[in-house]
Amino acid sequence: MSEPAPSTPAGAELVSDRSQSPMWIFVLTLTLLYLGAVYFDRHSGWFDKDVYSPYANAAMLESYQPKSGAAMAAAQGRRVYEQVCGLCHGADGLGKPGQAPALAGSEWVIAAGHNRLAHIPLLGINGQISVAGKGWNLGMAAMGASLSDSDLAAVLTYIRTSWGNQAGEVTADDIKNIRAGLGGHLQPMSSDQLLAMPE
Amino acid sequence: MLLVSWSAFVLAPQLQLGGAKQVPVLNSTEVYPHTRPGEANQGLQVYRANGCAACHTEQVQQDGVACDVVLASAGKNPDAVSNLLATLTLRGLSQEAAQAVSDKITAAGGKVETHIVAVGPDIARGWGLRHSVAEDFLYDNLVQFGSLRIGPDLAGVGSRLPDANWQLLHLYAPQSVVKGSLMPPFRYLFTTRKIGAAPSPDALNLPKEFAPADGYEVVPKPEAKELVAYLLNLHADVPLYDAPFTPVVVAKP
Ligand code: HEC
Ligand code: HEC
Repeated sequence: MSEPAPSTPAGAELVSDRSQSPMWIFVLTLTLLYLGAVYFDRHSGWFDKDVYSPYANAAMLESYQPKSGAAMAAAQGRRVYEQVCGLCHGADGLGKPGQAPALAGSEWVIAAGHNRLAHIPLLGINGQISVAGKGWNLGMAAMGASLSDSDLAAVLTYIRTSWGNQAGEVTADDIKNIRAGLGGHLQPMSSDQLLAMPE
Repeated sequence: MLLVSWSAFVLAPQLQLGGAKQVPVLNSTEVYPHTRPGEANQGLQVYRANGCAACHTEQVQQDGVACDVVLASAGKNPDAVSNLLATLTLRGLSQEAAQAVSDKITAAGGKVETHIVAVGPDIARGWGLRHSVAEDFLYDNLVQFGSLRIGPDLAGVGSRLPDANWQLLHLYAPQSVVKGSLMPPFRYLFTTRKIGAAPSPDALNLPKEFAPADGYEVVPKPEAKELVAYLLNLHADVPLYDAPFTPVVVAKP
């Protein structure tokens, strides 16, 4: 048996005294609140709907946006190709019988210069054309108006460097110059007109 | 009290995300996501009805983000650059480290690019290129998050396994394409019938073990085709502002 707890001395009255809660509790609470606020400020992204972990805030997210460069251009080129050109020329660049000639191995695509090549999507092409030794007589509509300089440059670079093609890059500035040189010309080109201009 | 929590957990997110729209794909004129074509949209309901979400999630997680330094061209002094490269770590760097490495290579005459890559176990398993974000689910009516991963995450399965025939074979007999697969077969999405005048072009090309008796063929019901259309439409792996990464095009042979 344990000792009974000592009871209040007989006759003594129970008084509630005004002893204070210890100071350290306040200090601790405030410190924790402060640290919490700092953590929140650093990691919450301030409820920005675009910011999720692992990005702590909008500035960090901004700093991780990929810079443009060859990799981004290649991805852009592939996207434009698959959206615009691939329907006719095929995702593999091999063309489709009766629809469009191949781009893989085409002398128009892998030419040393890109002047003739750029005119094809800019203005379209009509009539007889020989591609890698095969004759075609179809038509391809102009797509210059709907493609920006950078999209067109990216897609031409893409077709010049895919499926075994190994030719130089085309830049947005190149396209800008060629576009400026078109003047008022809007008719689709013919193969002969293209061959008459510099490569 | 109830009002405060309702405002914080229902009203505020609704105001923030309720009006979510398509967003531009990084460095592209394209927007994301596209509405699902009708068949794929039907497929979502088939997915739901068959409880695929009991074993599969559609949410890729990401732990962090890193920089890879990639050589774009070796410049005039390729030997010096390649000797230097052999001494450097080029992958999985912090932004500062990547900058330092790029500076060193540039000083030696090379040209580099810094690629942004998402990192985490899910990314390492090849389930996606970035974490899932709100936009991925914009057109899902009844989002199929799932919570248990008996099978792999399917958020990007349309990019990973783009072959419709593979998907049909896998649904009819998972073990015919994945040895020892634990996934249950979904045979009732297919009909086994007597071959008519000519074999159906839709008939599955099954390995002997799984093939029906001679003179019979297995053809997918419309539900199976819809389900596969839905699976092939799952491409939650385009770079977006809120989930950035550098897309890398693997040169096609
Ligand atoms: C509507 C279908 C269609 C689309 C879309 C299309 N093309 Fe063509 N393309 C053709 C046809 C048809 C020809 C052959 C024209 C002829 O016979 O005169 C052709 C020819 C070409 C040629 C020259 C022949 C060759 O094969 O090398 C090039 C280069 C070319 N297209 C590039 C492109 C590019 C780049 C795009 C996307 C911006 C594109 N095409 C989109 C149908 C198309
Ligand atoms: C009992 C759990 C279970 C259910 C239910 C289930 N799966 Fe699976 N699934 C798995 C497992 C385990 C794997 C991994 C083995 C394999 O690839 O077959 C898998 C793999 C897959 C894969 C291949 C993924 C990859 O990256 O290899 C696809 C696609 C898939 N399932 C689709 C479905 C669909 C669609 C349904 C609903 C009709 C479904 N699964 C229902 C367990 C399940």
